[in-house]
Amino acid sequence: MRQYLMNSDDQLILEFQQGSREAFVELFERYREPIYGFFRRRLDYPARAEELAQECFLALLQNVQRYEPRASFRSYLYGIAIHLVAVERRKAGREVAENEKLDSRAVEGNAAENNDAGIWVRSALGHLEQSEREILMLREYEQLSYGEIAAVLRIPVNTVRSRLFRARAALKNQLLPVRD
Amino acid sequence: MERNAQHAFDAEEVMAYLDGELEARRAAALAAHLVSCSECQEVAQGFRALSERMPSFEVEHPSAGMNETVIAALDSSNAAKKTVPSGSEQNKSWNWRRMFAKHYVWAFAGMGLAALLAVASIPNFFRARHEAWLATERATGLSAPLEDRQRFAASTSLPPAATIQAQLAAPVGGPMPTPPPSDDEQLKAPENVGPMIVQTASLNILATNYDEASAAIEKLAAAHGGYVEKLDAKAQTGNARELSASLRIPTKQLDGFLADVRKLGHVEEETRSNEEVSDQYVDLQARLKSARATEQRLIELLRTRTGKLQDVLEAERELARIRGEIESMQGQSAILVHRVNYATVQVDLNEEYRQVLGSGPISTGTKIRNAAVEGFSNVEEGAVALVVFLFAVGPSLLFWLAILLVPGWFIWKRFRVRARS
Repeated sequence: MRQYLMNSDDQLILEFQQGSREAFVELFERYREPIYGFFRRRLDYPARAEELAQECFLALLQNVQRYEPRASFRSYLYGIAIHLVAVERRKAGREVAENEKLDSRAVEGNAAENNDAGIWVRSALGHLEQSEREILMLREYEQLSYGEIAAVLRIPVNTVRSRLFRARAALKNQLLPVRD
Repeated sequence: MERNAQHAFDAEEVMAYLDGELEARRAAALAAHLVSCSECQEVAQGFRALSERMPSFEVEHPSAGMNETVIAALDSSNAAKKTVPSGSEQNKSWNWRRMFAKHYVWAFAGMGLAALLAVASIPNFFRARHEAWLATERATGLSAPLEDRQRFAASTSLPPAATIQAQLAAPVGGPMPTPPPSDDEQLKAPENVGPMIVQTASLNILATNYDEASAAIEKLAAAHGGYVEKLDAKAQTGNARELSASLRIPTKQLDGFLADVRKLGHVEEETRSNEEVSDQYVDLQARLKSARATEQRLIELLRTRTGKLQDVLEAERELARIRGEIESMQGQSAILVHRVNYATVQVDLNEEYRQVLGSGPISTGTKIRNAAVEGFSNVEEGAVALVVFLFAVGPSLLFWLAILLVPGWFIWKRFRVRARS
């Protein structure tokens, strides 16, 4: 399994497409925590986040034969994840209230799990506009490049940059005064 | 975030630089600029501080159960390469793209089918119309194909006037559409063999004595050997009475009749028009003659020759067709002669209107009652009209909605998902 360490994600997924079990295991090892974190930061319940992270990998498994290396593997994988989150939110029928609820839930529900700074960050994120928040989170937590974010959200790279800038500006206004 | 206008770099570029997303040459320039510019350093520091704070939003690690589930799915999918593992309902939602494609295909298939049906029905539609047209043509006796008519026209030069007269004198047994007074003269050709002219006259009369005048019109028509074709009298409350009569008067008597009618009141308007129909008549007679000749030839043929049964049947069928044409042409000829012999006179008789005094205003009760009745009938009519409209338009509306909305809905849904994510 160690030999795959040197391989890029894009090589691994192609090898998995050829039937290499090890390639998938390696990919899973690499993205297990990031994908779980992705869902965990966007959903209320850890159990649900875990289920969706599983869904995400199962979808990857099932659809591997149709995978085409158009963009990076990361943007493909997070594209699936973004889709799952969107479906989840729509199913819950609470997308409208999402903005208002995210921060309050953070403070009340997850106070024990988070440190104070974490609560503040989460609360500040909750005040952002959704499209901006999504870009900021993909950049900060998933460490996606501008190009990958653009591919995941299917928007132009320039839009990614300007929205990210707006999001950070808004966040700075909320976070930094607290520290001062 | 306020930046000086003279600054070569804005805050967004500083941000992109820190993210490693600035184009190389620009990044190098910005790096050099940052060393000297305290303002930009401050901006950069702000972004760095922000990014440093972000990881404080921590999450716990996933449980080991997740690994097992995914690896188990991997192994089962490896074991049965082609069978798709039956996932939970989220799996289905991921398959949405496939479902979407399917619906899309269905919708397009539906549209294609509808288009196909439409295209297929167009020839039938035209055929039906063509047949209807043929039927009317046959009914009016013009079913002879164009080349036949041309042949008739070529073979028969215009017959001399004497021949026309002879033909006109021949008994014609066509059915008459109107029941005119039995007059031997009616179906014969006009006395002078000059041009055949259909005369029409129209009179608009303001009657000094309406009752007398209206009664006199029919009597006058009868006295001149004519008859009333149509009579329409109106007597509405609060309005002048009107009588509109369409009369057929023997052409010879027309002038006398008009002179008598003019006496009924003040003539407000009088028009006369003549239409020459000699051409039509001659043409008709020529075709009739030709058709009769064909009939004779066919009869001769049937009598003298013995051929195959099929040929005999063919000849008899042709004979029947020719006879039908002859009868139809005879009928037309008779109608034409009748039109020439009997002029059409349209008499409009109007009462000299005087405003009637004493018909007092309608009482409030009657008004309310009328309004109520009207309102009720409006509601009823509206409801009936709506139901009729729904029945008339509903099915096609549903059909098109189904065809247009299904793909539309999916596209919208897709856009919404994209917008949200």
